[in-house]
Amino acid sequence: MQTEISRASSLAPSEVEVEIDLRRKRRWGESLIQFSLWICGILSIFITLGIVVVLLFDALAFFQRPEVTLFEFFTGTVWQPQILKFGIFPLFNATMLTSVIGLSVAVPLGLMIAIYLSEYASPRARGILKPVLEILAGVPTVVFGYFALNFMTPVLRGIFGRDVVEIFNVASAGIVIGILIIPLISSMSEDALNAVPQALREGAYALGATRLETAIKVVLPAAISGIAAAIIVGMSRAVGETMVVAIAAGAGPRNFASWSEALGGLNFLNPFKAAETMTGHMVRISGGDLSYDSLDYDSIFAIGLMLFLITLVLNLISRWIIKRYREEY
Amino acid sequence: MAVNQRNQEAFPSGDAYYQFVRRRRRIGTFFRTLFLAATVLGIVILATLLIDVANDVFGYVAVQNRIDPETLIDQYYKNRMLSMPRLLASEDDVVLAEGIAARPNAIGFFGYAYYQERSETLRALSIDGVAPSAEAAAEGQYLLARPLFIYTSQRILQQRPQVAAFVDFLLNNAAEAAEAVGYFPPGQDDLKESRLLWERATGLTAATSGNLLPADGDIRIAGSSTVQPITQRIAERFQAELPYTGEITIEGGGTLAGFQRLCRAQDIDIANASRAMERPDLTLCRSNRVEPLAFEIGADALTVVVSQQNDFLTNVTREQLRQIFLTAERWSDVDPSWPDAPILRFIPGADSGTLDFFVSQVFGDSLDDLPRADLMAILETNVSGGRLRALNAERPLEERSDEEIYELVIVEVVRPNIVESWSLWESLFHLDEIEAEAASIPNATLEFRSWLTWDFVTSPQSSNPTVAGVLTAILGSLWVTMIAFLVAVPLGVGAAVYLEEFAKGSKLDGLIETNINNLAGVPSIIYGMLGLAVFVRFLGHFTSGIAFGVADPSTANGRTILSAGLTLGLLILPLVIINAREAIRAVPRALREAAYGLGATKWQTVWSHVLPYSISGILTGVILSVSRAFGETAPLIVVGVSTFIVVNPDSPFSKFTTLPAQIYQWTSRPQEEFQRLAAAGILVLLALLLTVNATAIILRNRYSRRY
Repeated sequence: MQTEISRASSLAPSEVEVEIDLRRKRRWGESLIQFSLWICGILSIFITLGIVVVLLFDALAFFQRPEVTLFEFFTGTVWQPQILKFGIFPLFNATMLTSVIGLSVAVPLGLMIAIYLSEYASPRARGILKPVLEILAGVPTVVFGYFALNFMTPVLRGIFGRDVVEIFNVASAGIVIGILIIPLISSMSEDALNAVPQALREGAYALGATRLETAIKVVLPAAISGIAAAIIVGMSRAVGETMVVAIAAGAGPRNFASWSEALGGLNFLNPFKAAETMTGHMVRISGGDLSYDSLDYDSIFAIGLMLFLITLVLNLISRWIIKRYREEY
Repeated sequence: MAVNQRNQEAFPSGDAYYQFVRRRRRIGTFFRTLFLAATVLGIVILATLLIDVANDVFGYVAVQNRIDPETLIDQYYKNRMLSMPRLLASEDDVVLAEGIAARPNAIGFFGYAYYQERSETLRALSIDGVAPSAEAAAEGQYLLARPLFIYTSQRILQQRPQVAAFVDFLLNNAAEAAEAVGYFPPGQDDLKESRLLWERATGLTAATSGNLLPADGDIRIAGSSTVQPITQRIAERFQAELPYTGEITIEGGGTLAGFQRLCRAQDIDIANASRAMERPDLTLCRSNRVEPLAFEIGADALTVVVSQQNDFLTNVTREQLRQIFLTAERWSDVDPSWPDAPILRFIPGADSGTLDFFVSQVFGDSLDDLPRADLMAILETNVSGGRLRALNAERPLEERSDEEIYELVIVEVVRPNIVESWSLWESLFHLDEIEAEAASIPNATLEFRSWLTWDFVTSPQSSNPTVAGVLTAILGSLWVTMIAFLVAVPLGVGAAVYLEEFAKGSKLDGLIETNINNLAGVPSIIYGMLGLAVFVRFLGHFTSGIAFGVADPSTANGRTILSAGLTLGLLILPLVIINAREAIRAVPRALREAAYGLGATKWQTVWSHVLPYSISGILTGVILSVSRAFGETAPLIVVGVSTFIVVNPDSPFSKFTTLPAQIYQWTSRPQEEFQRLAAAGILVLLALLLTVNATAIILRNRYSRRY
């Protein structure tokens, strides 16, 4: 190097004028690519904006109609568009019923599966069990709907009697929703359990704790934020689940003449009767050729807005829990 | 310290210590088992789901045809035969025989017995080289012969000695009786077999059969009127020659009625039958706990005859018979070596069983065998004019393939209707109950059906569950998924690359990240509403194809494949981004540093190093997202799948349905048949998804080996 430069300079010192520009070079192609990637990234914000605008716009159109009042929407106990009764309670109640039944199936089972897979199972057992759960997670929801209608309902009717359990009922839809979200809860909880450092477990063993005590009293509390998040995400999934309830829960809202009728004898909680959920109603109404600007069309956007807000809040809570209560190791 | 204190006090010693340890261990084992059970339950649920679906896909069905295909064909050919020119149809055999005998160019057919009386003026033709004879008929070689049976049951033979005696007498004298009434006698082997059967059923032998007599009590016989002359003759001799004091009643009614009275009503002892029992008949009997016994007692034969004056015909083939009686005008049309003279046809009248038998033997009685022209003619004669015009408007009949014409005949004319269906479990373990139930449905035949067939996969949707298929839905699914793929993958991978490689952690970048995570949690039906409002309604001008001049503005709307594909594209975008980010994040830092060290620009690093390294991960994520799109139902229903569509989609602007939507529509119909169709559709859906996911795994393994 040295010699070459010196030779060059010795040959023609004034002829060679090497100008090395060390400033950052502007590469137009590169910038263009970067810009288009940025557009890709920013697009997701527009999707969210689109959803919010669309839902708000048509929901507002709904509430501005003379037939509808906001007060009645939240306090009415009858949802019957034919007679212009728009009380969200029957739909909301059914959504909550199916979700709670689903969670009461999915949370214990999902947690037990997570604990088994992360604390007990040998690598070989995990290798077999995990993919099966993943397959369960990959089954389309319409298949679960079929399962609820053609398997779960007959089973329930066999157990509780055909007079008690209606063909369409909240219980079978709820149970199957539970089955549907087991893989979600178990895999998120398992991730949380796996994130707990090994040292904590070994500390517990050293103090003479059994495997069960370690799992329940040490690992589980340490991972509680992740598990709580998993449950809330499961809740949001259950609330938004559509096909199972559309097929198995019922094809008409469970209306009540008044609040006293709804609450009397806890009628609104009966899981063996049919009830249409928010999502189920949306699917049924839009299944026919829905004409724009009709009351039905606007009404499903109002329900959709409410559904969106519920799931959004649930998702935000779960993210907040993870951020706020995560144990840092 | 207080805690320690308490523990020390509570800490057991001696036996109590061992008890304490055992208890802890027991609790540990219990919960371990519980956790394992929960996990296994997950697997059991998956298995139950699959078994439940498979259980509904296969099983017995009871099919009721509006018109029996055999009757349909019989009627069709009878009408054609009777509308031929130069034809004489008469119930009176004398008219036929004399008419043929007098004309050298005449041909006709009637019972063999009658021919024998007239053999000096008439000549019987052999068919396919087989002359009508008792041996040929017994061995089943002669086309126009049919065996004749009587049916009874083991219980009747054992409990009613007079019937056993009667059957014994019948078997001894069958040959004589058959010949006396003009039928062929039964073959020696058949007779021996019948004899053996009788001995086994009664426990007697030929030598001890005399013990049955003298007898009294009634003997009741009903069934085929073809067989009736034989039993009639036997009955007369039985009463005259043997010490029997009872009364024998013989009724007609037809073979089927005979079987039904023998097995269901159980008010006769013997059924006359001009055919053997078939599956539905056997089913009927078994479901009523009757074990039928068949005795062959002779054979009936038709003879195709020409005049003795005829000098060119001794043998005809079945095909020639077809032409002679259905199409040909002159003898030379059938065979050029025959004279150029008109064919004169003499056939029995339309009401005679003889004509029916001739038609079914010569022209066949299965729709599959019918030539296209005949199927078309059947369609035209049996379908109303309006419906025909509608079918022609859909697609001209001439352009349709032979299979399609056949399908049309089945759907429009035969109209098979499944009135009951059973699951695989019921079919395997409760067959007798199914048979009993099926037997109580009039004119129903029981058959084992797999709802999932190749036809199911390749047929379009139909309102008739027996011929409905999922082809339209599969194609719709593929189109929609492909568009979703084209939208979501470039955008998703681009966004992932941006977030992982270019984002500088600004406020906006943080917002994008939070936003994507929230989007992934939005219920899919909300995307459907977005699609409905934006793609279908707001951009309807473009998504319907009107803007591009490919759709008719007066009818087209935005509920098209394009709208659906775009909606699903947005739906899986967050998934693609999240999966792709994870794959990109797994690329070692060192790889990037090395690229930068060699002077690569940021994009060069990404394009030549990061993306190739992470491609397997990205691909897996993409395929998993796409399979999610493939199985998605709710948003598409909101966007607007067509409820009933039989035309395959051929462009992004077509109306559509998808496989999951089709399954949903079938599932929400109350009829059981549609539930079975839904189950079959689910199997197809799962098989397709499994293929897609298996592809993901194979691709991942192949690409990940490179590094």
